[in-house]
Order: sequence, then C-alpha cells, then structure tokens
Amino acid sequence: MTQVSTSAAAGAINASKIYGKDDSEVRALDDVTVDFALGQFTAIMGPSGSGKSTLMHCLAGLDSLTSGRVIIGDTDLAQLDDKKLTSLRREKVGFIFQAYNLIPTLTALENITLPMDLGGIKPDQEWLDTVIDKMNLRNRLSHRPSELSGGQQQRVAVARALASRPQIIFADEPTGNLDSKTGAEILAFMKHAVTDLGQTIVMVTHDPVAAGYADRVIFLADGKVVDEVENPTAEIVLDRMKRLGS
Amino acid sequence: MMASPVVRLTLRGVLARKFRILLTILAVVSGVAFVSGAFILTDSVKGAINNLFEELRGDVDLEIRSTIAFGDAARAQRDPVPVSIIEDIEGIDGVRLVEANIIRESTIIKENGDPLQTSGPAFGISWNGPDGLDGRTLLEGAIPTKAGEVAIDKASAERAGFVIGDTVTIVGPTGKDDFVLVGLTGTGSTSGGGGASVSAFDPATANEFLGADNKADSIYVGVTPEASRDDVQQAIADVLADGYEVIPGEQSAKETAGAINDIIDIFGKVLLGFAAISLFVSAFLIFNTFAIIVSQRLRELALLRAVGASTRQIHQMIVGEGLVVGIIATVLGLLGGLGVAKGITALFNAAGAAFPAADLLISSRTIILSVFIGIGVTVAAAIVPALRAGRIPPVAAMRPELGFSALQRSKRLVVGMVTLFAGIALFSVGLFVQPGGTAGTLGGSAVGAVLLFLGVASLSTTVAAPVSRVISRILPFPLRPMTRSVPGRLASRNAQRTPRRTASTASALMVGLALVSMVSVVAASVKKSFTDQLQASVTADFFVTNMSFQGLPVAFAERLAELPELGSVSPFRATQALINGEEKQIGAVKPEMGDLVDIDIQKGSIDSLDDGAILLYTDPARDLNVDIGDPVDITWQNGTTSTLKVGAIYGDSSVAGNWLVSLDTLAAVSSATPVDFFIGADIADGVSIEDARKAVDKVAADFPSAEVQDQAEFQKSQEDQLNQLLAIVYGLLIFAIFIAVLGIANTMALSVFERTREFGLLRAVGMSRRHLKRSVRWEAIIVSVFGATLGIVVGIPLGVSVSLALPNSFVTTTVIPFNTIVIILIASVVVGIFAAIFPARRAAKLDVLDAIATH
Repeated sequence: MTQVSTSAAAGAINASKIYGKDDSEVRALDDVTVDFALGQFTAIMGPSGSGKSTLMHCLAGLDSLTSGRVIIGDTDLAQLDDKKLTSLRREKVGFIFQAYNLIPTLTALENITLPMDLGGIKPDQEWLDTVIDKMNLRNRLSHRPSELSGGQQQRVAVARALASRPQIIFADEPTGNLDSKTGAEILAFMKHAVTDLGQTIVMVTHDPVAAGYADRVIFLADGKVVDEVENPTAEIVLDRMKRLGS
Repeated sequence: MMASPVVRLTLRGVLARKFRILLTILAVVSGVAFVSGAFILTDSVKGAINNLFEELRGDVDLEIRSTIAFGDAARAQRDPVPVSIIEDIEGIDGVRLVEANIIRESTIIKENGDPLQTSGPAFGISWNGPDGLDGRTLLEGAIPTKAGEVAIDKASAERAGFVIGDTVTIVGPTGKDDFVLVGLTGTGSTSGGGGASVSAFDPATANEFLGADNKADSIYVGVTPEASRDDVQQAIADVLADGYEVIPGEQSAKETAGAINDIIDIFGKVLLGFAAISLFVSAFLIFNTFAIIVSQRLRELALLRAVGASTRQIHQMIVGEGLVVGIIATVLGLLGGLGVAKGITALFNAAGAAFPAADLLISSRTIILSVFIGIGVTVAAAIVPALRAGRIPPVAAMRPELGFSALQRSKRLVVGMVTLFAGIALFSVGLFVQPGGTAGTLGGSAVGAVLLFLGVASLSTTVAAPVSRVISRILPFPLRPMTRSVPGRLASRNAQRTPRRTASTASALMVGLALVSMVSVVAASVKKSFTDQLQASVTADFFVTNMSFQGLPVAFAERLAELPELGSVSPFRATQALINGEEKQIGAVKPEMGDLVDIDIQKGSIDSLDDGAILLYTDPARDLNVDIGDPVDITWQNGTTSTLKVGAIYGDSSVAGNWLVSLDTLAAVSSATPVDFFIGADIADGVSIEDARKAVDKVAADFPSAEVQDQAEFQKSQEDQLNQLLAIVYGLLIFAIFIAVLGIANTMALSVFERTREFGLLRAVGMSRRHLKRSVRWEAIIVSVFGATLGIVVGIPLGVSVSLALPNSFVTTTVIPFNTIVIILIASVVVGIFAAIFPARRAAKLDVLDAIATH
C-alpha cells in the first residue's frame, strides 16, 4: 500500500463505499488507500464493476464515502457541507466527462469560463489565452456545442477543466465517445496539460491505449487496488489487464 | 447584472425552450388578461357612468328632496315633493331657476305596435329644454312646448325608426297617447341614455301624462353666478318644512351613479372570480411544464452542479425562468386585458346593454395587481420544480439514473392528506358556519376549495396508475378495450409510468370540471326545488311580472281585479322598513293573496291584513318572540313610525318573504309612487282558460312593459333565466377548461419530445405512423378521462354541500344530474382527442434515423 505523501494533490485513506444493506450489500470500494501526486497524470483502470468510477466520484466530492476519508490538497472532504463542497468543486477540481460535457445553451467560451463565472471570479486572461491556444479553440469560441464536432466539444471540456487552474482534474472516460484519432488528439492535449502546464489529472478509463498516455496506472478489482504501473505503455497495460481478468 | 452566469443561463434556458414554454405563457396570458380585463372594464364603465351622470346633472346646483329615515340614498323610495314649493324657492336671493324633476316609466311603442325594447329603464321626463337645468341637449328639431309634443333620445328614435314629424305612441302611467315627435335629445357625449329610452315632455304635459299630480320626485335649483351656493343652500334649508332636505347637485348624481357602480363592481368581482379560477388552472400547467423541463434537463443541471453551481444558483435559475415567463405573460396579458374589456363591452352592447362609450382606462392599480398576480402565480408554480432541481446530485452528470430518485422524493402523501383535510374543514366551516357574513362564507369556502383541489391533485398521483389501467381497460366502451392492441397498451403503460405527470396534468382539468359538476348539482337542485315549490304552494293561474325591474303601474292590478273572468287578484309590492333596528323588506298584498299562494298559515288569519295587522314568517316571529296580537314597531323609510299587531304567523316564505302588510297599510304611511313587482291572479269559477287569457291579454295591451304568463310559462321563464345564468357560468368556466386542455396538449408534446428515441425505436421495429399517432391520442384520452373522473368525484360532493348550505327558500331538494355527468365524461374523451392533435402529428412525423441518433 502506498503512503499518502505531503506532495499529493489528492488522496483517499481507508475509503469504503457500500451500497444496499445486509444480503444485498455491495462493496463498491473496499478499504482503498491511494494518493495522486502533484503534476502527475494517473489512470485508474479495472473491469466494469471494479469500483473505478465510484472511487473517482468520491475523490471528486460528487459522492460520499460510507467510511474513510478523501483529501484534496489539505482539505478533508468529510468536513464539508454541500455549500463548501460546491465551492471546492468550483475552485479546486476540474471535470471532463465522457459525454454531456457542455451546457448546450452556452457558447464555447462561456462554457470554458462557467465555473469561474458561477463563483463570481474573474478568469486570469493570460492563462485563459494559453489554455485556449493550447486546445486550439481560438476560432471556435463563439460557437454553440451543437455547432462543434465531438473532438472540439471534448477540447472545450478540457479547456474548461483547465481554465480555473484547479488543484486536480478528474476525467471519466474522456475518449469513450470519440473515434480513435480524435481520442488520441484529446489525450495528447491532456498530456500537454500535465507536462507543459503542470496540471494534475486523474483519469478513469478502460482503454489501454488511453492509459498508455498516463504517468502511472492504478488497477482496481472488486473495490480494491490490486496493481500499479509507473510509466506504462499500452502493451504493458493490456498485459496486466489480461492477467487481472483471468 | 447581465454578466451573471445565472442570469445568462436563465435567459438562454428560456430561449432554448421557447416553443416548449409557449403554451405555458399562453395559459398565464389568458389568466392575466382576464384579471386586467375585469379591472379595465369596470374602471372604464364606472368612469363613463360617472361622466354620464355628471353630464345629466347639467346646471343643477342644488336639489330638494324628501328625507329618508334609513337605508340606501339612491335606492330608497322617497316621498314626492309638492311642486307648489317652487314659488317659495324662486323668491330666495341668488336662485336663478327652479324646475320640477319628474321621472316615470313610459314606453315608446314602435310603428308595428310592439314596445321598444331597452336594456335600461324606459323613462318619461319633464323637460325644460337645453336652457333648463338638466344636462340633456337637443340634437335635432325643437323642444316640446305643448300637449301632444314629445322629444325622444336620438338613439331610441333611430332604433325605433322614427324621424321628426312622425306620430309616436307612448304608454305612460295614465295610459296610452299619441304625440308628435318634435325633437331628438342626447347628452354631451351620447345620443342615448345609457341603454334607457327617454321621452321628454314640457312640464305641464309631463305633470298630466306622467300622472305626477303636481308632485315632483325632487326639485332642481340653479344658482346665479354671483351668488354663493352654500348661502343659497342654507337659505333654502331655512324655508323647507320638516321631511325635506336640500343637497348639492353633484351629491345626488354621485349617489345614483354609485348605485349603478355597485352593480358593475359585482359584475367585475364575478369576472375576477373566474379569472382566479383560470389562473389557478394555469398554475398547474406552469408547474407541470417546469417539472418536466427539469427532469429533461437532469444531466445539464447535474453538470452545472458538478462544475460548481450551488443549490441556490440552480434554484435561482429555475425560478428565474419562471420569472421571465411571468414577465412576458404579464405584459402580453395586460394587452390582452384591453382586448377582453373591449370584447365583453362589444358582447354586452350587441345584447343591448348600451354601455356608455368610454376610453379604456388602465389604472396603476390594474397594472400593479396584474403584475403581482401574473408573475406571482408563475414564480410560485415554478418553486417546487426548482427545489426538486436543486436536489439533483452532481454525480448525476455521469450517472443520470442516480438523479431521478432526487426528482421523485417527496412527502406527498402526508402533505396531500393534510392539505385535503384542511381544505374540507375550511370549506365546510365557510359554508355551514358562515363566519363573517357573505365575505367570510365566500372567502372561507373559496380558500377551502383551493386547498381541497391542491390536496386531491397531490393525492391523485397515488391513484393515477391504477385508475389509468382501469380506464384503458374500459375505453373505448363499447368497442374493443384499448389494452387489446399494441398502441393502446403503450398508451396505457405510458400514462402509468409517469403517474406524477399524468396526475398533475389531469388535475388541471379536474379543477375546471369539478366546478362544472358542482354548479350543475346546485343548478339542478335549485330548479327542482323551484318547480316543487311552485307546484306545491302556488295556485295562481296567471303571473304578471315586469322584465325591466321598474315595477308595474298599480293601474294594471286594479283593472285586472275588475275583470269578471278572474277570481282573486293580488299585487305584490315591496318596501324597506326598520324593525328592531334592522332594515327589512316588507311585502304588501291583498288578503286575496291567500287564494293564490299557500303561505302555510299556522296561527291567525290572512284576513287580518285588512285590519291593518302585520303577518310574520315563523323565523322572525321566533326571533322577535311575538305571538298573535302582540305589537311590532316599524319605522318606514320616510320616517313615519307605526305599531302593527301580529295578525298571523305563516310557515312558507318562499314567495311571500318574511313580512306582509296590506296595500292600505302601506299607502297610509308612504306617499311614494307605488309600483307592483308582481301580480298573481286566478280564474273565476266556470270561466275557461282561453277566455280568461283573452281578457287578461286585452288589459295587458295597455301595459307594454308587463309580461303575462300562465303557470307553465312562468315556470319555463324562470327556468330559462336560470339556464341563461348557467350558460354564462359555464361559458366563463370554459376558459379554465380550455387552459387545462392546453395543459394536456403541452404535457403530451413534452412527453413526445422526451420519448423521441423510444418512438424512433418503435418505428424502426415496424410500428406504423398511424399506430404511433393512435398511441399518443389514447394516452391523452386516458389523462383527460382521469381528470374528468377526478373532477366529478370532487365536484359532486361540493355541489351537494353547497345545495345543503343554501337557504330553504332556494333549495329544498338536492338533485344529482346524472345526464350532465355522462356528458362531462363523453366531452372529456373529445377533449383528449383534441389535445392530442398536435403532439400526435409531431410524433408521427419523426424521422426514424434521426430519432434513434438523438440522445
């Protein structure tokens, strides 16, 4: 088991999440302790039902644990009420989802600045420009989501996650809905965000190719961390997955 | 602050869903238009009537009239003023002109012999021409100056087809006479008398033809420009005998206008009541639309929560959308109110009401109340959906299935039960305990009914699924039940799978139909009770009434009494009097009334009337604790007091009222011109109905405003009046029902939109467009039949309660009109088909591929 280090962007300690009661009890997370270092791109993998999504939802403050603790930066999420959790999500956490990432009635730029607008914070224009250029969205800013391709929409989502310079970004199958070429493009952007911009990203995926972009891969099965690989390649990940499955 | 993301999201949200909320806006618009229309109409008509009376007042600076001891200044029956006092007044310093004011009923006869119908009274007046004091103007021709001449108002002349120089037959209090039409009159702004017909005679002719006998209704006084009116008023007051008073001219104009304004206010309040019903129904529609839109935006709202929107911001956003809808609808509704006011005015004018021409007045009160009501209702209806939206957890952005439970959670059953019982309690207290008089009764039962409706609406969610199942198994009876075919089964399941939506959509219709059921029970009960009573206690063969409410000249009853073909004849007069400090209506009749109406004498004799006795109904006799022979002190309206002995106590007040005296007793204490409100007569022994009728009709020919009816005709005309009233009530309720139908159409359209994928799939696996359409249509029918069932289940007990609460003089038997119930159910099927037209067409038009690709 890894220790929670002081330089971690986020982490979970003895995290358990139980759905249902008694006979129908399901342990989605079973005493998970894990941490995510600053400036690292971590992938969480596992077969479906392994608890990887639950882990991410709990880490991001979207869902609560049955027992254990989740820490983002130096904040213990268990101590926060809904109001504080909301502002934590707004200020310290970024999200990239598989689909339904954008508000259809807002333009690309409005979507990107949405979390800051909601918090009444003025975006850092220089940083915003950097992010927009990095994501290659300069000439798409006034478009509505329905006028953008799937890849462009996902780049807007990445830009939104980056725009407020959060402590950590959570991505849930960010390439699940994209073709492999566009998916590779998005992953490359995310990788850039980590290496060039110093962001911390945690990504849930079942795609070994996607995991290959990460600095580190954590494997979950039956709600437990069962394996871990540093600097993975798609082949290594695939290999480990096969072993887990058998 | 436009830059605020909440404001931006709100506005964009409304824009993105503009077609989906269009119907919602329409519903609020019609409610607000109704409210503002009622205010605009009453304000405008009242303004016009005040103007008209101010114009008619002309140069009347002071008016001399008899005093009254109590009661309403405008409606009181005043004793006349002897014309002889004019000489005394003319001598007073500062008095310019003095005139006798005489107004009596006079009917203009058209060239074909029929009386000219008016929507107001038919007047004959004494007129001194435009140089005189009153405000009437001469529009054409000359003023009448001698016997045999008349001027009539231009509007009536045009309607009757008379031109100057024609001979006009007029029937006045003293009989029928022919006059040469010499002039056409009007006022400053109209060519008529606000729906009345006016025949103007010179003072001498008026005195004779109108039977004034040198007694005026009042005396008009004009003051010279140099004189102080107050001084002149004081000087006149000093010479007046007891029992007379002198008042400023504008006071009497105000009093008369005020009496009419009171009626218009009642009319306005009735309109407002129906507006409130429409708005209440609209609130269901708004609530439903927002609830559906929120569930359709589940992922979007969860995403907002995930990226940092607070619960409060979500609340603000949804309520804000309600606010935007409310503002748009209120502005449109205010404009619509102008249309409603114009439309109703036109409608009533077409029916002959002759509302004076008036500019439409939009007072600041109209605007403030419309804004408050329109926006208030919309925002209030959006609050619950907003609270639900705020409960959507952020994680639903990724796992929407987790979000739906947030939208379902509710303490519905408990809240629903509590609301329902509070409603029933309040309704019953309002109806049966009647705290605080009419206002308390109406207020209590109205608030109670609202709570009751809300309670039922909330509880109906529980029964929506099973009832829908039953309805779909029965309908379309007697054909094959819809559950036997695939589209029917789908319709049934769809209605059952969103019981909440089905229930709240149906509830809107429930409100409208519950009121219809309630009114139909009350109306059927009133009708039945009236018929029973008429058959049980009224033995008169003929009834004479006056449609213009001015009463009949007493000569009619006198001449009927002389007819050998008739047996007993008695008129019914009424006056106000003060008994034991309270104002009561006293009836005056002949003892022959006993042969015409069975008033169920319990003690004493009806013949005691001729000895100057007073007859009492059992209730007031008990309240006053008096028995036969005991004295009752009475103060009449002119201040005369008398002490009458109780001559009889009777047990049926439905026709006779609570107090009866003889015609002579009344004549002895009041010199006001007597009029009969009603005459009853029976046929002499051995005379055939035909002969008696002929004799009566011959007399009636001289009294054009009178209407002679036999018992069957009388019963029918009373029922017709009730039916007319019912038609108006149903007509006004149709607005609310129409909004409810809009609601069904709206819900179906939103559901179709939501099920795009599902429909695509159904089409892909081989369902035809026709079947798809049928499925949508049947779902709408299930919802509307469900609503109608709820409406009947709620409305019938309400109607029975109201019937029981009504006094015995109104309702003695409670009847449930089953044919009306069947009609309501059949109509609800039609309503469902109608509501489904657009959504079904839309569902059928979906392109299969597009539908499947949509997510």
